[in-house]
Amino acid sequence: MNGTMINRTITTIVVMMCVALCAFAQKGLCINDVFEGKVVLKNQMQESLIKGDNLASYKLKVLHTAKFTTHNINREEVEKLFNEDMKSRLSDDDENMEMESRNGHLYYAIVQLTDNEKGAHRFICYQCRDVKPGRYDITLVYMEGSASLVDLRKTFKRK
Amino acid sequence: MKKVTSENVHEYLARYMEGESTQEELRLLKEFFGSTKDLPSDLRPYAQMFIVLEEKVQTPSVEALDRFAEGQIPACRKHLPMWPMWVAACIAVLAVVFLTPPKGDENMAIAYVDGRMIKNDEQAMQIGQEALQEIFNNGDGEQQLTDLFNAK
Repeated sequence: MNGTMINRTITTIVVMMCVALCAFAQKGLCINDVFEGKVVLKNQMQESLIKGDNLASYKLKVLHTAKFTTHNINREEVEKLFNEDMKSRLSDDDENMEMESRNGHLYYAIVQLTDNEKGAHRFICYQCRDVKPGRYDITLVYMEGSASLVDLRKTFKRK
Repeated sequence: MKKVTSENVHEYLARYMEGESTQEELRLLKEFFGSTKDLPSDLRPYAQMFIVLEEKVQTPSVEALDRFAEGQIPACRKHLPMWPMWVAACIAVLAVVFLTPPKGDENMAIAYVDGRMIKNDEQAMQIGQEALQEIFNNGDGEQQLTDLFNAK
């Protein structure tokens, strides 16, 4: 095998690895760290992960929720990760997002992200409630499916 | 003995161009164009032609031919190092493992409460729905007032 062929082989391998890494990078969200228990320990949160037929009536394929009570440092970390993911939001229109901030902190957000695949809408949601000074109840949700934000509001908003 | 001269050269050339010249006639033509100076302009291109034909064509040595033949052996018959193929195979396997969506998890509903895993569809759904309702209603009025009060 001559030098040119070795170079070609190495280039092919590098290109393949880059493609694979890009694919993973698109899949991952920053808030995954929270769901994986990297910010708040898993045993300190209430979590649900539902996929498939159970969600068919909501036009969803994936629902991942996490609820926990935590202190200021973790709240800021979660907020930072959520804000990072918000950068890949679909748009700033009311149809695609709701948001509420107070005193420079995010308190509530429902954001539609850009689709990973056609027709599979992705949403991330965040809610923070003050329990007492320095303690917060945080709810984090990831959803994926064909439902629009309008559909989800209709389904889950109390009349 | 025949000889090519300025007078009969056209005759010899015509025979040569028709491919009818003998080796002897060819030798005479070469000799004529090689030795005659001040050729008429219509004969100069022929003189150039014979100079080119006189130049010896470089023939490759046996060793050079062997080296050339070595380079022509198809790649598959050479002894190839195996490492690039192993690397490529490993990458292909990893790509398949990591990029293929897990089939077994198409339908699942699990929940974790206080670090305990609950494999109960209803309970998992209930926890999921509660979280969604909480989000979409962004707390009830009383809770919002509490939040606002605590924020001050």
